[in-house]
Amino acid sequence: MVRRQSKLSKVLLSIVLILFGIYAAFPIIWMLICSFKQNDYIFYWPPKIIDESFSFNTYIKVLTDPVKLRFFLNSYIVSGVVVVLTLIIGIMAAYAFSRYNFKFKKPINSLIVGVQAIPQIVLLIPYMGIIVAMKLFNTYWALILTYLVMTLPYCILMMTGYFNTLSKELDDSVRIDGGSRFRALWGVLVPISTPALVSVGLYTFMTAWNEYLFALVLTQTTNMRTIPIGINLLITEHNYDWSMMMSMSVLGSLPILILFLFFQKYFISGMSSGAIKE
Amino acid sequence: MATITLKNISKVFESTGKKKSEENTRTLAVSDFNLEIKDKEFVVLVGPSGCGKSTTLRMIAGLEEISSGELYIDDVLVNDIEPKDRDIAMVFQNYALYPHMTVYDNIAYPLKLHKVPKAEIQERVMEAARILDIEQYLKRKPKALSGGQRQRVAIGRAIVRNPKVLLMDEPLSNLDAKLRNQMRAEIIALRSKINTTFVYVTHDQTEAMTLGDRIVIMKDGFIQQAASPQDAFDHPANIFVAGFIGAPSMNFFPGKLLRQGDVYCVQVEDLIVQLPEEKCARLAGKDVQPQDITVGVRPSHINVDTGVENELTGTINVSEMMGTEVHLHVKSSGNDVVIIVPVIGSYASYEKYLRQDEVVKFSFTGEACHVFDSEGKNLEF
Ligand SMILES: Nc1ncnc2c1ncn2[C@@H]1O[C@H](COP(=O)(O)OP(=O)(O)OP(=O)(O)O)[C@@H](O)[C@H]1O
Ligand SMILES: [Mg+2]
Repeated sequence: MVRRQSKLSKVLLSIVLILFGIYAAFPIIWMLICSFKQNDYIFYWPPKIIDESFSFNTYIKVLTDPVKLRFFLNSYIVSGVVVVLTLIIGIMAAYAFSRYNFKFKKPINSLIVGVQAIPQIVLLIPYMGIIVAMKLFNTYWALILTYLVMTLPYCILMMTGYFNTLSKELDDSVRIDGGSRFRALWGVLVPISTPALVSVGLYTFMTAWNEYLFALVLTQTTNMRTIPIGINLLITEHNYDWSMMMSMSVLGSLPILILFLFFQKYFISGMSSGAIKE
Repeated sequence: MATITLKNISKVFESTGKKKSEENTRTLAVSDFNLEIKDKEFVVLVGPSGCGKSTTLRMIAGLEEISSGELYIDDVLVNDIEPKDRDIAMVFQNYALYPHMTVYDNIAYPLKLHKVPKAEIQERVMEAARILDIEQYLKRKPKALSGGQRQRVAIGRAIVRNPKVLLMDEPLSNLDAKLRNQMRAEIIALRSKINTTFVYVTHDQTEAMTLGDRIVIMKDGFIQQAASPQDAFDHPANIFVAGFIGAPSMNFFPGKLLRQGDVYCVQVEDLIVQLPEEKCARLAGKDVQPQDITVGVRPSHINVDTGVENELTGTINVSEMMGTEVHLHVKSSGNDVVIIVPVIGSYASYEKYLRQDEVVKFSFTGEACHVFDSEGKNLEF
C-alpha cells in the first residue's frame, strides 16, 4: 500500500527543515555580515545586515598583510602535504590489509582502530616531547607528522573497506596482463576508487586545515602559525578585532567550501559507495 | 604454442586460527596432480564445486603459489616465475574488466603493459574485436555492456596478446542457458582461429564433453581420470567419473560378478547377462575373481519390456516427456533408476510410460554394463 503524504504534513516538514536550515546557517551568515562591517558597528542594536560602515577594508587588510598571508601559506603547505602523504601511505597500507595475509594483521588493525579512540589532548604532552626530541619543534614537520596520526587511521580503514569491495580478480588480471601488483594498485584500483579517495581526502584536508590545539603547542614563532592560530592571535588583551577575525574566518573557510562544491558529486557517491558493487 | 607439464603438484592452504583456541586448518586443495598438456591441446578440468579446479588453474597462471611439485611451461620450470613473465592469458569467471576503461582500452591494456607500439596496438585490438564481433562497442565502458558482450571483451583481452597458453575459469557460468550454448559454439570456433594451448575449467560436464580434446575429472583435489571425452564416457575409471560424466547420470545396481573360465557374467537380482568378449578378455587378463560388484548402466542403455528372462521390475515415479524421448524415474527394489525410452511410433506405443505408478519391466545387455568393485574402481582398469 502506498500512503500519500498529506499536504499539511509536507508543509509542516518544510517549515521545520527551513528553521533548522536557518539555525545551522546563521553563524556563517553572521560571520559574512560582520566581516564587511567596522568593528564598532558590530554591536549596534538593532543589528543591520548592511550598514554605513560596509566595506571590503578588512579583506584588503588581511590580503595585503604579509604576516597574515604567511598564515595562509603555512596552512596550505601543512594541509596539502598531509593530504598527499595520508593518501599515499593510506592507499598502500589499505592495499596490504585488503590483499595480503601477514603476521599480526589483526592486532595491527586493532591498533589502528584504537588510535582513533584516544582523545587527542592526551597525546599532546607526549608528542610535544617527541617532537622536541626529534628537533622538529616549530617546523612544518611537527604539524605534518602529528596530523598524520589523526588522519591515517580513518584513511586506512575506509580504503581497506573500499578495496575489499573490489574483486581480487582485478589484481590477478593486471598481473597476468603483464603488470605488477604495484601497477594493479595505482593503475586500476586507485582510479576506480576515486569517490572514496575524494571523501577521504576532503576529510583529511579539513582535519589538517582546522586543527588548533597541536598547531598552538607545536609551533612558536608567528611565521610558523596556521590560520586557526592566526585568527586567535587577533584577540589581544585590550582589543578584540571582530571584523578582522570574521574576514579571516571567511577566507579560511573558502578553500573547504570550494573543495566541497568542486568534489560534491564524488563526495556524495563516496558515502554511498560500497553499497552497490559494480 | 606451448606444452604444460604438471609434476606431483600439490596445494595446501594454511589458515591460522583467529583465536588461540581455534586449530590452524590445512586445506589440501590439490593433491599430487600429474598431467602433460600437449601443444595446442584443449584440456578441460571438470569436477564438482570445491574440487580444486580453480586452484590448479591459478597455479598454472602463477597467481597461487605451488606448495610442492614442479610446473613446466615449454620445458622451463616456472614455479617461481611471476605471472607476467609466463606469457599466459586468463579469462575470469566474473570477467574482471577494468571498469574505468573503455572496451578498447581494456583490450589494449595487456599490449600497453608490454610496450607494444601504438599503431600495432590499434591493429591488434581491431583484429581481436573483429574475431569476437564487438567492434561497435569499443568506445563503451564495460558497465554499458550485457553479460555476453562483457564476456567477449574479457576473451578479447586474453587473446589480443597471442599468449602461449589461454586459461579460462568457468567463463560461461554467469551467462543464461541460451547465451551459454551460443558462446560455447563460439569458443569452439575461436579455437580454430587462434592456435594456442587451452586449459578450461568448468563444473558443467556438457561443456567439458563438447569443448575438450581431453577432460580431466577431479574430486577432492585428486585427478579421477584424464581421458578423451568419449573414453571417459565409455570407460569411466570409477563410479565417481561414471556418475559425473553423462546426463542423466548412470544408474548403479548392486550385483555379482560371475566367472566361468574366461567368460564373465553379471547378475543383478535374477537377471544374468554375459559381458562382451572384449570386456571378458580384459577382466581375465587381470584374473579378476567373482565378487560383489556395483553394476553401472546408462539410462539410454536400459531397454524396457523386451521380454527377456528375469527382467527387473519397477514402478514409474515420475515420467518426463522430452519430445523425442521419455525420461522415466523408476522405483525398483529400493533403487531409483532413470530410464530413457525413445519416442517412436504411435502414441499408443509409448503412452503407458507416461502414466505414474505403471509397472515397467526392464533389462540391459552385457555391452551396457560397467563393473565396479566394492571401492568403486572400474574392474577393467
Ligand atoms: N585462499 C584460500 N584459502 C583457503 N582455502 C582455499 C582458498 N582458495 C580455495 N580454497 C579451498 O581449496 C579447495 C579448492 O578450491 P577451488 O577454488 O580450487 O575449487 P573449484 O574446483 O574451483 O570450485 P568451484 O567450482 O566452486 O569454483 C576448496 O576446498 C576451497 O575451500
Ligand atoms: Mg572455481
